[in-house]
Amino acid sequence: MTPAVWSVQWRLALTRKRVFILNFFVPLTLVLPVATGAVPPGAAAGVYVVLFAAFSMFGSAIPLRWEGQRGMSARIVRAGVAPSSYLLQRAGAGAVLDTLQLTPALLIAAVAVGAAPGDVVTAVVALAATAWIGGLVGIIVAAASRSITETALFTAVAVPLLAHMSGVFRNPEPGSYQALLETGSPFGALHEALLEMTMGAGGGGGVAMVVWAVALPVAVAMLGPRLHTALGRVNRGGLEGA
Amino acid sequence: MVIPGPLDIKEAGRAPGVIRASGLEFRYGGGAPVLKGVDLEIGVGEVIAVVGPPGSGKTALLKLMAGLLAPTGGSLDVPARRTSGGRVMLGFAAEVEPHFESMTGQQNALFFARAAGLRKADAAASVAELIGLLGLGEDAHRPVSEYSFEARRRLLLVEALAHRPALTLIDNPFMGLDQAARSALIHVLRLQSAKRGTVVVASPTLTLLPELADRILFLHEGRIVTGGRVAELLASLGNATRIEIRFERRPHRIEAQFRPGTKVLSDGDPFVLESGRGPAAVGDVCAALVATGAVIKSVTVREADLEEVFRRATGVELSA
Repeated sequence: MTPAVWSVQWRLALTRKRVFILNFFVPLTLVLPVATGAVPPGAAAGVYVVLFAAFSMFGSAIPLRWEGQRGMSARIVRAGVAPSSYLLQRAGAGAVLDTLQLTPALLIAAVAVGAAPGDVVTAVVALAATAWIGGLVGIIVAAASRSITETALFTAVAVPLLAHMSGVFRNPEPGSYQALLETGSPFGALHEALLEMTMGAGGGGGVAMVVWAVALPVAVAMLGPRLHTALGRVNRGGLEGA
Repeated sequence: MVIPGPLDIKEAGRAPGVIRASGLEFRYGGGAPVLKGVDLEIGVGEVIAVVGPPGSGKTALLKLMAGLLAPTGGSLDVPARRTSGGRVMLGFAAEVEPHFESMTGQQNALFFARAAGLRKADAAASVAELIGLLGLGEDAHRPVSEYSFEARRRLLLVEALAHRPALTLIDNPFMGLDQAARSALIHVLRLQSAKRGTVVVASPTLTLLPELADRILFLHEGRIVTGGRVAELLASLGNATRIEIRFERRPHRIEAQFRPGTKVLSDGDPFVLESGRGPAAVGDVCAALVATGAVIKSVTVREADLEEVFRRATGVELSA
């Protein structure tokens, strides 16, 4: 029986009380001025998507890269945990934590526009799926980079790119390749759910979200040993080099 | 509670504690060779100490055995690197390893014991026993981030041993341990050996190794230069006492007459003699040298010990 990596992740999150509390308040602090200001609902939904996606991707990629660099992930796998199991349990625990910590911010946004309860529930589900998908993308980003600086850089590029693909801050021509990208993008469902919640003009993206939520863990499971090995690779110069 | 010992681990007819290396070579990247053709065979239940000065290749050899490095030449067979029935058969303690810093030592040790395949109750019993034996004590319930270097070393040993591995590899086993913990570690490792668990330790010094190891292998510049059981190694020196003399003023040519049983090994500086008469020969030797006009600056007497085995095999001191 593999020991519960996910429970260790939870234990670590709960023992770092300061970070745990900050992770509640930082999203709240960012959402509050948007939700209570005179921001057009469509733009507000876009901001929320970027925020939530960034939170899940950074929250997965940076600690994982750090764990890889200091040899902890190698030690865990050497101790007997399968690489795929380690990565997926980590992503699972991170998704639950992220959902828990982002939901209050989402509820503030919902209350500010007087959203219908059904739409809020849909948005929370989309948020949970986004946290799961973002966490898995974060694993790939961490494995593709060679330092924490690089991880931060890659994540900072990936988040707006994926958000933009998901229809944030643009209206693609129907039938264009951009519209096609949007229907298949990982964060499209969250964007649509937030549009529906804030202005009653969204919906859709659910199929793509389910596909991503299933395909990505399969990919991570299949590539687990390779991703794990890559986590141990560090640029000459370590933390100094991007 | 009966915690499974290494004996309980079987693997397709091959004893997992065996290690065989033939012409084993290793170099980091394109660098100079670290190991230059190591041949060794370690049997089940043996406790082996690999001893050599810093840079001799000890740690690389241990990491190759653990599978953390790959040989660049020759062959190395370590069946214990595989798992058997869900249990990890290898226990490895490097000098320093990362931990979950905000978790307690006990929580860390339990995690790694469970990861190695122990059931929850067995892991708890084994970890508790080792924490007591190795003197981690109250530290076990504090976050690792608050640990001293010594406490971290103790925790590492608990983690390496808790799953009762068939093969235990420890780099610098006594580093950072007080005398009580050192004695406890010897006891635990000998117990592993009694249960047919193989143990390989690497150390730059010989401290306590004669008490721990069945065999000592001396490694120098990437090669095993000599090795064997402690008694055999000491016997190979005979009963000779080595006397090294440095001069304040030395005659151009030393033509002293020494008593039978004393022979000159080196006419250089130091002037080195060997005597079968023990330290009693020192006075005669000095008198004979003074009689030739020499002024003696210092005399060093070395009894037959394991450091002398290394010195004779390599011509250099083990601890420079």
